[in-house]
Amino acid sequence: MSQLDILLIVLRVAFGAFVPLCFIAVLVWMERRGAAYFQDRSGPNRANIFGFRAGGLVQNLADAVKLITKEDVVPGHITHKFYFVIAPVIVFLIALVSFAAIPFADVLILDGKEYIMQAIPTDLGILWFLAVAGFAVYGIILAGWSSHNKYGVLGGLRAAAQVISYEIPMGLAVISALIVYGTVNLTEMVQFQGQLLFGFIPMWGVVLQPLGAIIFIVAAFAETNRTPFDLAEGESELVAGFHVEYSSMKFGMFFMGEYVAMFTSSAIIVSLYFGGFQIPWLATDALVNNTRLVSFLLMLLLPVLALLFGAWMSKNNRSHYPRENDPRVREANVYAKIMWGLVIALELLLVIFLISGSGGMAARILTAGLQIVTFLVKVTFMCFVYVWVRWTLPRFRYDQLQKLGWQTLLPLSLLNIFVTSAIVVALS
Amino acid sequence: MSGKIKIMERKGKDLYERLYLIEVFKGMAVTFGHFLSNLLDNSKLYVRHYPEVKPEITARWRGRHRLTKYEDGTMKCVACFMCQTNCPAKCIMIEAGERVDGRTEKMPVRFDIDLLECIYCGYCVEACPMDAIRMDTGIFSVTGDERKSFVLKITDLLETPGAFTEEEYKKGGA
Repeated sequence: MSQLDILLIVLRVAFGAFVPLCFIAVLVWMERRGAAYFQDRSGPNRANIFGFRAGGLVQNLADAVKLITKEDVVPGHITHKFYFVIAPVIVFLIALVSFAAIPFADVLILDGKEYIMQAIPTDLGILWFLAVAGFAVYGIILAGWSSHNKYGVLGGLRAAAQVISYEIPMGLAVISALIVYGTVNLTEMVQFQGQLLFGFIPMWGVVLQPLGAIIFIVAAFAETNRTPFDLAEGESELVAGFHVEYSSMKFGMFFMGEYVAMFTSSAIIVSLYFGGFQIPWLATDALVNNTRLVSFLLMLLLPVLALLFGAWMSKNNRSHYPRENDPRVREANVYAKIMWGLVIALELLLVIFLISGSGGMAARILTAGLQIVTFLVKVTFMCFVYVWVRWTLPRFRYDQLQKLGWQTLLPLSLLNIFVTSAIVVALS
Repeated sequence: MSGKIKIMERKGKDLYERLYLIEVFKGMAVTFGHFLSNLLDNSKLYVRHYPEVKPEITARWRGRHRLTKYEDGTMKCVACFMCQTNCPAKCIMIEAGERVDGRTEKMPVRFDIDLLECIYCGYCVEACPMDAIRMDTGIFSVTGDERKSFVLKITDLLETPGAFTEEEYKKGGA
């Protein structure tokens, strides 16, 4: 193993572990501010450090401090303390581990060696996700059961029944996707989606498998226990469902686990159906061969984006009541300076890249960087869809949920398999 | 008992609505419209920036109590115990004493209102024959860090000025 090998292993594992963790903060923030904006409220925007509120992101720190310093109660009636404590750990860990097999960039070729850009460079791909993601419900069931509380048990049972009934359409939707892609390896799947259909449409899964995409997305919503399928914690009837008895960081683990699961399933949806790390019309080879053009375009695009963002920020980051020497305007000015500093730094990097000649290695690294950014942008948007749906749709009733799963999604996904395989056979 | 019977058309049975997805997308379009317009211009939010921007209090609002005074600064209250008797929450505690400013014979030497008991019903104001107690201070949030601070003494009640002019208060219907 060369030093490069070790460095890349560390980088990939760090990416797989820390990016979902960082996204917890982003997603909680997105959920709360997004929810507020959907409902014409403003959301948490007061918490600050020296007047810097970062659009409300600082609130996460306050929440974390609150959760960590809260008293960690294990109620006296709980007999199986081990299961009680291990349950949130399972939920959180499983959510984190299931991200490990998702590629965040195309295979990186450095010094003639291929590096699969996954936290765990395995060929299992989608099978890993299906196998591991199903485990998360064990945490929920354990939590519900060991809480020794009727609401907890009901929440756990609901979650179990729900995950069982939605895993079937999900698996069947994946099967029809597998028929199209002809592989279980997620990196190969995403590479497949880099092609063009009829020469101009990006061959994304959602174009080839529209019905499968819808079924998979609906089932993924149910898997992550998000509205409209969050019966396991339906607060109107079950108080909080499986985590009634949990307090402090044990609740925090459930909370974070939910957001990591949301991130992971967004990532898998994006990888399966929305082209993963692929930039539309710019497959990896095209990117590597035209790095000079791409970096030149990037140099043009960056200041334009920064200008737009700066204009938006100076318009919106100010107090909406008369206030002398508005601190929020001052705050926005500091952000603008930081942003322009970053833009200049990036431009310099790109200039160095352009001058020093886009050698094979540099071009590959630039491509990988661009693909990581694309992947994260797509995943963020998918997470936004989660938030968006949550604040639009009411919760299903329990029988409606089961009916939708067994009577609608299951036959549809079977039909989808038949139609897909017929077309694939006819075309080949 | 032959009232008009209106039979409501039951919705959600035809294929278009049972597809569900189209209606979902319509709903999502509505919410996204709100999100986008708020994101592009957050002055459109229906939010009052509360601690800095106070809500408008009308003259009819039943806020914290006060005891009124004549122009010469003597208190109107004659310790008739009407408000204390009428109080459903039993939060008023009056102790009568001899009047020293020469207006009448009686005045309260002690007039406590326990705001933790008070239900802000305004019956004391209605019962008062002298228009001596009013709830027109415009104070809608009373905070404190110990129970004792919520028991208002006669001096607190006399010191607090009304938030409205006499005309505004009268127009308010009191």
